[in-house]
Amino acid sequence: MKRLFSFLTPYRVAIAIALTLMLMELTVELVQPLLIAYIIDEGILKQDLSVVLLWGGVLVGCSVVAFAAGVTNSFYSSHVSQSLGFDVRKRLYDKVQEFSFTNFSRFPTSSLITRLTNDVTMLQNTVFMGLRIMMRAPLLVIGSMIMAFLINPRLALVLVITVPLLILFLVGIMSKAGKLFKKVQQQVDHVNNVMQENLVGIRLIKVFLRAQHEMIRFKRSSDALMDKTVSALRLIEVTMPAILLLMNVSILVILWYGSVGVTSNQASVGDVVAVVNYAMRMTGALSIVTMIIMVLSRAKASGDRISEVLETDIDLIDKELSENRVIKNGNISFQNVSFAYPESHINVIKNLSFTIKSGERVSIIGATGSGKSTLFGLIPRLYDVDDGEIRIDDRDITAFKLEHLRQQIGCVPQEVMLFTGSVRENIAWGDEHATFEDIQEAAKRAQIHDTIMTLPKQYDTLIGQKGVNLSGGQKQRISIARALVRKPTILLLDDSTSALDMKTEAKLLEALSELSCTTVMITQKISTTMASDHILLLDDGILLAEGSHRELLETSDLYCKVVESQVGKETFTLVQRGY
Amino acid sequence: MFNEVTKPFRYKKRSLEEIDQANSKAKSKKKAQNFGGTLKKIWHYLAMNKVKLSLVIVMVVISSSMALLGPFLVGMGIDDFIVKQDTDGLIRLLWILAIIYVIHSLATWFQALWMIRIAQNTVFTMRTQLFNHLHKLPIPFFDKRQHGELMSRVTNDMENVSSTLNSSVIQIVSSILTLVGTVSVMLYLSPLLTLITMLVIPAMYIGLKWITKRTGRLFKEQQRNLGELNGYIQETLSGQRIIKTFSQEKKVIYQFEERNERLRLAGFWAQTFSGFIPKVMNFLNNLSFAAIALVGGVLALNGVVSIGVIVIFVEYSRQFTRPLNDLANQFNSLLSAVAGAERVFDIMSEEEERKDEQDAVDVDELHGRVDFSHVSFGYEKDEDTITDVSFSVEKGETVAFVGPTGAGKTTMINLLSRFYDANEGVISMDGRDIQTITRSSLRSHMAFVLQDSFLFEGTIRENIRYGRLNATDEEVEKAAQLANAASFIRKMPKQFDTYLQVDGQGISQGQRQLIAIARAMLADPKILVLDEATSSIDTITEINIQEALSRLMEGRTSFVIAHRLNTVQNADQILVLNNGELIERGTHQKLLQQNGFYADLHASQLKEKMISD
Repeated sequence: MKRLFSFLTPYRVAIAIALTLMLMELTVELVQPLLIAYIIDEGILKQDLSVVLLWGGVLVGCSVVAFAAGVTNSFYSSHVSQSLGFDVRKRLYDKVQEFSFTNFSRFPTSSLITRLTNDVTMLQNTVFMGLRIMMRAPLLVIGSMIMAFLINPRLALVLVITVPLLILFLVGIMSKAGKLFKKVQQQVDHVNNVMQENLVGIRLIKVFLRAQHEMIRFKRSSDALMDKTVSALRLIEVTMPAILLLMNVSILVILWYGSVGVTSNQASVGDVVAVVNYAMRMTGALSIVTMIIMVLSRAKASGDRISEVLETDIDLIDKELSENRVIKNGNISFQNVSFAYPESHINVIKNLSFTIKSGERVSIIGATGSGKSTLFGLIPRLYDVDDGEIRIDDRDITAFKLEHLRQQIGCVPQEVMLFTGSVRENIAWGDEHATFEDIQEAAKRAQIHDTIMTLPKQYDTLIGQKGVNLSGGQKQRISIARALVRKPTILLLDDSTSALDMKTEAKLLEALSELSCTTVMITQKISTTMASDHILLLDDGILLAEGSHRELLETSDLYCKVVESQVGKETFTLVQRGY
Repeated sequence: MFNEVTKPFRYKKRSLEEIDQANSKAKSKKKAQNFGGTLKKIWHYLAMNKVKLSLVIVMVVISSSMALLGPFLVGMGIDDFIVKQDTDGLIRLLWILAIIYVIHSLATWFQALWMIRIAQNTVFTMRTQLFNHLHKLPIPFFDKRQHGELMSRVTNDMENVSSTLNSSVIQIVSSILTLVGTVSVMLYLSPLLTLITMLVIPAMYIGLKWITKRTGRLFKEQQRNLGELNGYIQETLSGQRIIKTFSQEKKVIYQFEERNERLRLAGFWAQTFSGFIPKVMNFLNNLSFAAIALVGGVLALNGVVSIGVIVIFVEYSRQFTRPLNDLANQFNSLLSAVAGAERVFDIMSEEEERKDEQDAVDVDELHGRVDFSHVSFGYEKDEDTITDVSFSVEKGETVAFVGPTGAGKTTMINLLSRFYDANEGVISMDGRDIQTITRSSLRSHMAFVLQDSFLFEGTIRENIRYGRLNATDEEVEKAAQLANAASFIRKMPKQFDTYLQVDGQGISQGQRQLIAIARAMLADPKILVLDEATSSIDTITEINIQEALSRLMEGRTSFVIAHRLNTVQNADQILVLNNGELIERGTHQKLLQQNGFYADLHASQLKEKMISD
């Protein structure tokens, strides 16, 4: 929570102004009854119109001042609360961008989204309210207490007992409600999650006719959200009648003591009236406190959730010795590398060693789940290895600054992810300084230029979540263009030609050979491995065999089987004979 | 420091037209819904809880009258008993008061208790209906929307509705009650002074109108911007892997900031304007005090009204404006709720997937004969993706679609499953136009393994069972066995009960496809669609499941899309598509003999490569 308060520091001036303005308003409000009383007593009762006019004018003047103060306060309060929301969102987003994948596994996407929007809105509203009215109610309570004491300490004694009791009660409720609201927010996460899954998987749901099933699932989640909200709000709503009862009982006590006091001449009737009046005012103010309690306990729950993200330790960072280093050669070597995903103890990569020379084109081939994509994630340091060392340019990759390392690697992931925006933006995403010529060149190399030119608005056609329908292969090639546009020293293609037909793939591979970068490709296709200098055959996280296509045909049975499975027996024999 | 002092006045000002323009741009071409209409719809939901709602109103009446009765009796007690030192009378009165107070508290408690339930019920119903409606929308709707933006409507916008409903109804009813009570007393005391007090009402109306005209739109803009931000967050979080590998964090942070700034701007003005409301009300309130004092003073001087009346009147005019003030505040909060609700109703008024034709029937049994007759289709109006395609598939046959990327293969599947309907021509099954078959019964005979094999958060078992919800554990495991998925599943920490996270960390793309195949196995359909079902699976594994697949395909009509031609060689028919046209058809052997496009493809795929090596 402390951390959250520090978000307010940049706005201390604005906050001070807002609070001062609020106090001004409050003062006018408190003075007003006195003015009115004066007008009645001195003006109307004494039938003196000039007093009415003069003090009536003062009353109007005060109102104008209060109005001006109030309006200005609105400006400052919303400035502070909106800027606070802005800052918190920014800091959260910055932090999330620093997250490693291990960090991500702790927070599901939907939960991060709720924290960044819903939870921040809660905080924002709390601050806005705080600067405008929150102080009023407590001030009114305290002011009334003091006034009551000044009038008759004996009668006011009752209040001294009840008010602390009330505060204790409220604090208790608040901490309990805070926990309940935390559960509410967690459930919002869940609702959000079901919603997200349904949006992403909508096709699958439709073809399997599972809308009904999903509706039930959502209803269950939404139902739980309702129940949790209801139980949190109900707890809060108990406070109001409880406060009413307690305060009203103290009024009864005051009346009784007052009556005793009047009999024994220790209090005047006027005293009793005044103290009862103040007690009633306090009751009114305390009912506002209920609302404040609710807002505060929600804010606390949301604040905790925000802090949780902000306080997460990033576990993948630059080493002290890391520097901005240019990858000159682009040779890669793995030395006894082992790796297991966080929270799983099964090594996906087992004591793996190999070397890729600079400028080489290397294919990685292997069974489903043999660790190919995992291996790719290790090169740009999406994860750090558990054991062993990965070297680029004969240097441990941790010697490169993370950002710098990744900047020089072009990567095409297996699952194509395009962002909402135009084709041009999506390709330029790889390198923001790319000129339109660069973009077109990359598109040509990726064999997508011609397709783009047939789109309605060519390079300005919208794609991504809101855009036109592109086929799987088209998306893949845009994703390749995105990697090429950065002119990388190392190019990683993760099964990126799977949706391409052979002709297009051949052209693509040819275009790639014009580049001087080290290219590593994960593939299932023999056509790709044949066009490579070197092939790594992976099985269950272990390097089973390596060599050129020809070498592997002679040394590896598994490789032969793969080739045979793809080209058929007759052709395979031809191949073996050396055609 | 100076900067901080002036900053609140330096936010970019925007005219109503600009805001309207921005709001309407995002809302496609549909006409704006009005405030009253939306409110009526919300009311319609609230009214579903009629009994409870009337109970709440009864409770509000009770608690309001108890709130008025209490102070009155206290005053009486002081005057009649304390001043006169009548202890017995006082004790009696204190008892009565105690009872009143207890009733007051109980009524307050019950009204809140029920109201919370009603409000949350309303929100629950709206949220669930929104979700259910989403499932009735056609695929094109989802193709054009950002997921995060839609998600924001379910959470952030509903939150606005929820927080308003909790308190508004009670507040509005009790304010109106107090208002009516006070005005009656005032009228009784002095119609003339009442009239003067009422003079503020037109001013209030004008002031409120001026403000709410702005806040309404601003709230909407704020919610829209929040939705857009949500969309951006969702997208960039889903694409985290690519952002990291491209080390583009700075860029997305920068783009995030632009959206964040837009939200701040909209939020600032929405909040500032809405903050004006109580201030304006207070101000007018004070003016009316002054007016009463002045006019009252003059009247008293002339002896038209008694001084006592003026004194009481001043008190009442205070009481009169307080509920008005409350109403204004509630109105404000209502505006924000309406802004949220409107975005929810927007989706609900979105046109559903075209209803099944009137004469559409459920088909219990399907043999699986499929005919395409002169079918044309385009995603965009003026551009055909499929042009005049005709072919027939006999029951149990396997058909492969082959062709370069973008030739329209996946589109064929979209048409077959009626995600989209053909613009021209007829697709029929067992001789019956599929438009005369209900979508649900049509799809119930089909199973799909799609290009993106999507897994839900849950266990592997649950994910496979998605194919047939009532399948037993044994059936699930058997399907996995058949799909060759069992071997890797058994290596997982908890085997079939391994819990998959949303982003499926630690499970490879190929393994996902195997699970998807198991899912289709379990569904046991008449028509099977495999859209690049094995593209991420290595060829050895593929050989292994090929056997299982051919077992699966036996007796079923199967449509296969694959780039690796060897996977389609055994198909009964190969349909070669190019630029949306069906250019060749036949078996593998026949097509090779034809020496056309397919033969070319085949050659480029095998021999050319082989020999050039």
